[in-house]
Amino acid sequence: MKIGLEVHVQLPTRSKMFCSCPTEGSAEPNTRVCPACMGFPGSKPSLNGEALRLGLKLAKMLGCSIPDTTWFSRKIYFYPDLAKNFQVTQQETPIGLGGVYMLGDKPIRITRIHLEEDPGKIKRTADGSSLIDYNRSGIPLAEIVTEPDISSPAEARRFLASLLADIRHTIDLEPDSERSVRCDCNISVGKERCEVKNVTGLKNVERALTFEMVRQTKILKAGGKIERETRHFDEERKVTTSARKKEFEADYGYINEPDLGVYHIAKMASEIENKETPMEMIARFVGDYGMTQEAAKQIVSTDIGLAGFFEELAAATDAETAKTFISGVISSHWKGFKPSRGSLDDITSMIGRFAKGEITDVECNMRIRCIMTGDEDSCRVCSDDLDEIVGRALDENPSVIADYAKNEKAANRIIGGRDEGDRRNILLRGDSQRRQAPDI
Amino acid sequence: MDRETVTKVARIAHLELTEEEIELYRKDLEEILDYFQVLDGAPSSDALLVNPVEVSDVLRSDEPRMDIPADDLLANMNTYERYVRGPRVQ
Amino acid sequence: MIDLSDLAKINERYNMFSEITPETSTDAEFAFSAKDNLTAVGFQARAGSAILEGYRPVFDAACVERMRSAGGFLVGKTNMDEFGFGSFSMNSAYGVPRNPYDIERSCGGSSGGAACAAAVIDGHVALGVSTGGSIACPASFCGVYGMAPTYGRVSRYGLIDYGNSMDKVGILSGDAKDLGRYLPLISGDDMRDPVSCNHPPLQKRFRKLRSVAVVRGEASAGVNSAMGSAEEELRSMSVDVETVSMDTLRYALPAYYVLASAEGSTNIARYCGLRYGRQDGDLTLKFDDYFTKMRSRYLGEETKRRVILGTFTRMMGFRDKYYAKALGVRNAIISEYKRIFERFDAVLTPTMPFISPRFDEISGMSALETYHADVLSVPPNLSGLPHISMPCGYSEGMPVGMMLVADHWNDDILLSAAEEWQKRFDARSPEVSL
Repeated sequence: MKIGLEVHVQLPTRSKMFCSCPTEGSAEPNTRVCPACMGFPGSKPSLNGEALRLGLKLAKMLGCSIPDTTWFSRKIYFYPDLAKNFQVTQQETPIGLGGVYMLGDKPIRITRIHLEEDPGKIKRTADGSSLIDYNRSGIPLAEIVTEPDISSPAEARRFLASLLADIRHTIDLEPDSERSVRCDCNISVGKERCEVKNVTGLKNVERALTFEMVRQTKILKAGGKIERETRHFDEERKVTTSARKKEFEADYGYINEPDLGVYHIAKMASEIENKETPMEMIARFVGDYGMTQEAAKQIVSTDIGLAGFFEELAAATDAETAKTFISGVISSHWKGFKPSRGSLDDITSMIGRFAKGEITDVECNMRIRCIMTGDEDSCRVCSDDLDEIVGRALDENPSVIADYAKNEKAANRIIGGRDEGDRRNILLRGDSQRRQAPDI
Repeated sequence: MDRETVTKVARIAHLELTEEEIELYRKDLEEILDYFQVLDGAPSSDALLVNPVEVSDVLRSDEPRMDIPADDLLANMNTYERYVRGPRVQ
Repeated sequence: MIDLSDLAKINERYNMFSEITPETSTDAEFAFSAKDNLTAVGFQARAGSAILEGYRPVFDAACVERMRSAGGFLVGKTNMDEFGFGSFSMNSAYGVPRNPYDIERSCGGSSGGAACAAAVIDGHVALGVSTGGSIACPASFCGVYGMAPTYGRVSRYGLIDYGNSMDKVGILSGDAKDLGRYLPLISGDDMRDPVSCNHPPLQKRFRKLRSVAVVRGEASAGVNSAMGSAEEELRSMSVDVETVSMDTLRYALPAYYVLASAEGSTNIARYCGLRYGRQDGDLTLKFDDYFTKMRSRYLGEETKRRVILGTFTRMMGFRDKYYAKALGVRNAIISEYKRIFERFDAVLTPTMPFISPRFDEISGMSALETYHADVLSVPPNLSGLPHISMPCGYSEGMPVGMMLVADHWNDDILLSAAEEWQKRFDARSPEVSL
C-alpha cells in the first residue's frame, strides 16, 4: 500500500498573505476583509515577508533544496469562496524541493513545499443558496507534498503527528490555535490511486485512509478495478464518497503572477537560522546528558518549553539533579502550569537550595508544587510559619509524638490527605525531630 | 479550431455561447491562431519570465491594518447578516 | 475658477465621459479626468463593462489620489473599450466616443474618451491606461500628446487589470508640458503595488534627444508623408536620424495578443455576479450555472473573444506553445531594443499605420484585422518601454501621430523631446461645436 499526503498548514502571521487584514480577531463574518482579499477590481496583492520567511523555515526544516528565485502563479478555477476565481499559489517554482523527513528511522521523502492563499468559507442555506465569509480568504498556507512513502493509515497518522510537532516548534505555531491542518490523502492498495480531498485533523486522516484501504482491498479481492478519482470524506458517517463528475472541467491554466514579481529566496534562506527540531533535541539530550531515548522523548514531547527549562536547570545545577526534578514533580505539574520567568527562576533557586543541602528533597518538592500549582495545602506547608503549623498540630495531638516513636504511620492521623507521605516526612525530619519526641 | 473546442474552452471560462457566437469565435480563433504560428520560429530566452522589467524582493512587513472599514465594502453588496450571498454549491 | 458648465453638453456630442461630476465649477487648481478603469471615490468604476454597473469603489487609485492631493479636481471618468479590449473605443457598454476632428471617426482606443477630452477641453489633463497601445493610439487619432511611462513607473493600485505584466498608467494632454508636470506627480514607489517599488526614480531634468532610430513598416501614404516631414524637422533640431531594421518586432503582435489575452482571461474570471457590480442573478442556481449566466449576459463580444482566446493559450497542451513561448519571445524583443538603445536615444515609428478610420470601416474589419492596427504601438508596450505619441502632421484633415520609444526608465528624454517638439510643431485644434 502506498500513501502520499498533501498537508496544508496555516502559517501564524499576524496579517494576511497578500493584504494587511488581521488573521485573527472578530469571528463575525466579513469583518477582517479588504478590497484585495475580497477580489475587488483595482486591488493589488502585496506579499507579507513573514509568510515567505516562515515558509522558508519549513523548507529548511524538511531538508528541501531552495531555488535561487521563486515567484507565484495563478491557478484558475471558479468557486464562490475564491474571491478572484483564481488562487495565488506556486506552480513552477515552489520554495522548497526534494526534502526528506525522518519518522523515527524511516525516511519519508518530501516532494515539495509551496506557499498559497486560503480561500474563504461557505455555509449552505435552506433555500439552496450559499453564504460566504471571506475572513479566511488570504490566510497564508504552506502546502507540504510527500512522496507515496507511507505504508499504512496508522503510519500516516504518526507521520502527521510528528511532522506537526516539528512544524509547531519550528514556526511557533500555537497547538490549539484556530488555524487548522487540512490534508489531501492519496492512497493506492493496488496500482491505481484515489485522492481523498480536504480531510481535517489527524484522527480523520487515519479514518479516511482506513476506510479507503478496506474499500480498495474489497474491490480488488472481488476482481474489480479501482477507478482513479477524487473522493470526499464524510466526517459524520466516517466514509469516503466519490466526488461527482464535474460538468465543468477544471483546467487550471496556470500563468505567472505578474503583480508580485520575483523573490531571491536562496539568499533569504541562508540568513534564516532554524531552531532545533524536537527529533534533533531528543538525540542531543541522549548524547549530552546521558539520558535514555525514552526519558529524553518524554521530556521533549511533553513540551519544548519543559525541555528548554531542563537545559537551564542542568546548567544551574547538574544533569542528574535536573533529570530527577524535571521528570518528577515538574513534569507532573507542567500541564496547566503557566511558566513565567519569575516562577521558573523560583524553581531553579529552590533546587539550588536543595543542591546546597539547605532544604530536604521533600521540602523542595513541596515548594515547587506550591510554585507550580498554588495548591493550598502545599503552600500552607511551605509558608514561613511552617514551624507554627506543625507545632500547633503536635500540641493538639500530643500522643502522636509518642506513638511515632513506635510507628511512623501514626503521623498520618493529624494530616491525612493524598500527600501524607511527604507531610509525614516533613513532620519527622523537621519539627517533630527537633521536639525530640521521645523526651516528652 | 472546431466548434467543439470553442464550446469546451468557453465552458472552462464559464461562458455560454449561442450558435452564432460559436461560429463567430470559431472563425476568428482559427484566423488568430493561424497567425500566431509565426511564433514557432521566433527567438526566445528565459531571462525575465514574470515582468518586462525586474520587479524583485518587494515584501510587506507583517503589521495588521485595515485602511478601509469592512462595512464600507459590504455597503453595496448583497448580504445576509454580514455574509455575502452566493449561489448554490451542492 | 474653472468653469464646468459646458461639460454635459460637450459630452452629449462626443461621449468621451461615462460619468461626469454634477458640479458646474470648481476652485481647484486644475481639472483632470480618469479613465474608467481607474477607481475614484465618488464615481463608479465600470471599465466600459456592463457587468460592473453599480460598482462604486471605496478607494482612490494611487494616481487619482495623488492628482487630487496636488489640487486637482476630478471632472469625470472617461469612456473606454471594455476592460481595455479594443483599439477604437467601440467595445464599451456606455456608448462610443467620437473623434473631435470628425465625429464619424473613432477616437482610437482603448483610452478613446481620455484622448477626446484632452483634445476638446481646454487645459484638460487626462489619466489614461495603456496595455498594448491604449494611450498612444487614441493620442495619435485625436492629435494630442500621450505618454505611457516605463512599466512600474506609476503605481497601478486602483487600476482595473487587463494584462498585469503590461498595464501602465499614463497621461494624455493637448499640451506637452502637462506630461512633464504631472508624470512626476503620479510616479514613484507605492507599497500597495509591488510592481512600482525599487526602481530608478524619474529625473525632472531636461535631456536633449540626440539620435533616433527609424523603423520603417507598412503605413498609409498620408502617414508616411507626415512622418517624412517630421523626420526633416527632427534633423533641423539637430537630432541624428537613421533608419534601422529590427527583426524581432514582427513577433511582437502575436506575442502580445497571447500574453494579454492569457493574463486578461484570468483577470476577467472574477466577474461572476458576486460582491460588486451586477448581482441580480438567481442565487438558487448551482454556482457554475450562476457564474456562466451572469458572465454570458453582461460581458461584451470582444471580452468574450479574448477570454476564450486567453483561456485556450494557457490550457494544458497549449500553454508551452503559446503562453510560455510568448514570455520568451518578449525577452528576445527586449534584447533587440536594448541593442538599439546602445546607439540611439529612441526608436521612432508612426504611432498608427493609418489615420483614424470611420466607424463604418471599422465595422467591416475582422477581429484579426483590428488586432493588426496595433502593430506599431504593441512592441514597446509588450517590452515595458516608455513611449510617447506626438502629433506630427495631418492627412485628410485628420491628425497623424509619431511615436518615440526610449529605454526602460529613460522617460525623461521623451518628456524633454515632447516639449521641444511642441515649440516647433504647428498643431491644429479641433473645431468644437456644441
